Amino acid sequence: MRRVAILGAGMVPFGKYPEKTLSEIAWPAVKAAIKDSNIPKKAIEAAYCGTALGGMMAGQRILKTLGITGLPIINIENACSSSSTAFREAWIAVAAGVYDVVVVIGVEKLTKFGGGTLPLEKEDFEVAHGLVMPALYAMRARRYMHEFGLTEDHLAKVSVKARNHGKHNPDAQLREPTTVEEVNGSRPVADPLKLFHCCPSGDGAAAVLMCAADVASKYGGVPINVVGSEINSGKYMTGFRDMTSPEITVRGAAQLYEEAGIGPEDIDLAEVHDAFSIAELLYYEALGFCPRGEAGRLIDEGETSVGGRIPVNPSGGLLAKGHPIGATGVAQIVEIVRQLRGQCGDRQVEGAKVGLTHCTGGGVSGFDHGVCSIHLFSR
Amino acid sequence: MADSVQELKQALNISGDAMVDKPDGSVRLVGSKCSACGDWIFPPTPVCPECMSESLERRELSEIGCLYSWSVVRIAPKNWKTPFIAGYVDFPEKVRIFAHMVDIDPECLSFDMKLRVCKAVVGQDADGTQIESYSFVPVEGRN
Repeated sequence: MRRVAILGAGMVPFGKYPEKTLSEIAWPAVKAAIKDSNIPKKAIEAAYCGTALGGMMAGQRILKTLGITGLPIINIENACSSSSTAFREAWIAVAAGVYDVVVVIGVEKLTKFGGGTLPLEKEDFEVAHGLVMPALYAMRARRYMHEFGLTEDHLAKVSVKARNHGKHNPDAQLREPTTVEEVNGSRPVADPLKLFHCCPSGDGAAAVLMCAADVASKYGGVPINVVGSEINSGKYMTGFRDMTSPEITVRGAAQLYEEAGIGPEDIDLAEVHDAFSIAELLYYEALGFCPRGEAGRLIDEGETSVGGRIPVNPSGGLLAKGHPIGATGVAQIVEIVRQLRGQCGDRQVEGAKVGLTHCTGGGVSGFDHGVCSIHLFSR
Repeated sequence: MADSVQELKQALNISGDAMVDKPDGSVRLVGSKCSACGDWIFPPTPVCPECMSESLERRELSEIGCLYSWSVVRIAPKNWKTPFIAGYVDFPEKVRIFAHMVDIDPECLSFDMKLRVCKAVVGQDADGTQIESYSFVPVEGRN
C-alpha cells in the first residue's frame, strides 16, 4: 500500500440553507478544497461522495456544477458515517495505486425535513416503537450516571466546552458561548438530556483532495499524512450489552492503534462524534484518553479543552459546529488538516502533530452503532 | 416512527406476531429460541444470527423483566403521544427489549425494578387509528 496525503481541505459554514439545493450547498466546499490544494481539477481521477439522505447521485449533481465529470463518481450511504466511509474508500483506492488524485465530499441537507429528530428507518422494530436518537443517548447517559456517579453538570460542561471552541470557528453553526446554568436550564428533550446537550440540525458540506504521497510534492503545499484508516460495523447483539461503553469504538480504536503503531498518548487532538454531550464522555474512555469511569474528571479538569492535555473537538464538534450528518466525517478531517497546518487562530492546538477523527452512525436496533470509522493524521 | 398500524405490524411481524394474549388477560412477548445453539432472539426471526440455523422455535418470554435504563422522551415524530416514558427491559432469557412504559410516575422508576409486559395504546397514525403495542407496567401495580 502506498502512503496517502491530503493536499486540500474546504467546507462551507454549517447552518440552515433551506432555499439552497444540495449541490448549491456543496459545490463551494469542493471548489474551496481544490483551490486550497493547488491541484488542477483535470488531475482529479475519481470522486467519492458521502450523504445519508441526499438522494440519488448526489456526487454527480454536485460535481457537474464544477465541470468535474467523465470520471468515476461513487456515492456512499452509511448514516452519519457516510463521508468518513467515503474517505476510507478513497484512501483504499489511492493507497492501492488505482488513482493518484481523488476528491472526497460529505454533504447533507437536513432542513428539507423541517426540523425535529433524525428520520430513522421505519422497518426497524425499535424505531417502530418510538426510539429516537436523543432517547437512545439519554438511556446511555442515565445508565452511565448510575454506574459512575456522573452528574448533569458534567454533561453540561461538555456543551460549554463545545461552544467555547465553536465561538472561534467561523464554520460553526452555534458560536454563542453558554454556561452550565444555561445548559441545565435549557428545554428537556429526553431526560436527562436537555436541548443544549444535543447537536443542532442543519445543512452543510465539506471536501478534501487526497493524493498519493509520492505525487504530493508536484503540487506544493504542506501534505497532511493519512497514517491510519479504520472502519467497522457494530456487533449485532440481541441480548444484554453494556451501554456505558461503545464496543464498536473500543474495538475500532484498538485495531487502529495497533495497525498504525500510534497510541492514545501520541495524539495531540481529536475530533469525535459528540452528537450528544454524553457521547463525547463515552468516547474519551473508548479512545483511551482516560481509564473507564474517569470521563467526568477529564471534563472537570479541562484536559479536553484547547490548551489542555488532549483537546477534543476544537472545531466545536457536532454540538457547536453542527451535524449535517453525511457532511460530518469529512468536516472533522477538514478541521484536523487545518489544525495540523496551524491555521486555526484562536482555537489552534499549539504544536499539533498527530490528530484523530472518529465518526459513528447509528439508529439500527441491536447495535451500539451500525458503523464507526476512525482515522489518524500527521504532519 | 411507524406512520401507520400497518407499518408497525410490518416492523414487528418479521416472522409472525411478537405478542400473544393469554386467557387470563395478560400478555406475553414471543421470541425465537434457536434449536441448534440455544440463543434467544427478539423479535421472532426465521434465521439465527449466531449460527444461521433456520430451526427456530417460537417461544413465549417471561412476563417480567428488569429495567436497565429509561428516558422521558419529549420530542418524537408526531404520531407519538409526547411526553412518553420508554426504556430497555432485560428478560431472564437474556434479551433486552425497548418499549414504552405506562401507568407510572417517572420519579418512581429505578434501576433493576421489575416490570411486567402489557398492551397499551402508544400513539396514533395519520388517520387517527390508535397504535397499540407491547409496553411495560410496574409489577407492584399502579404507582
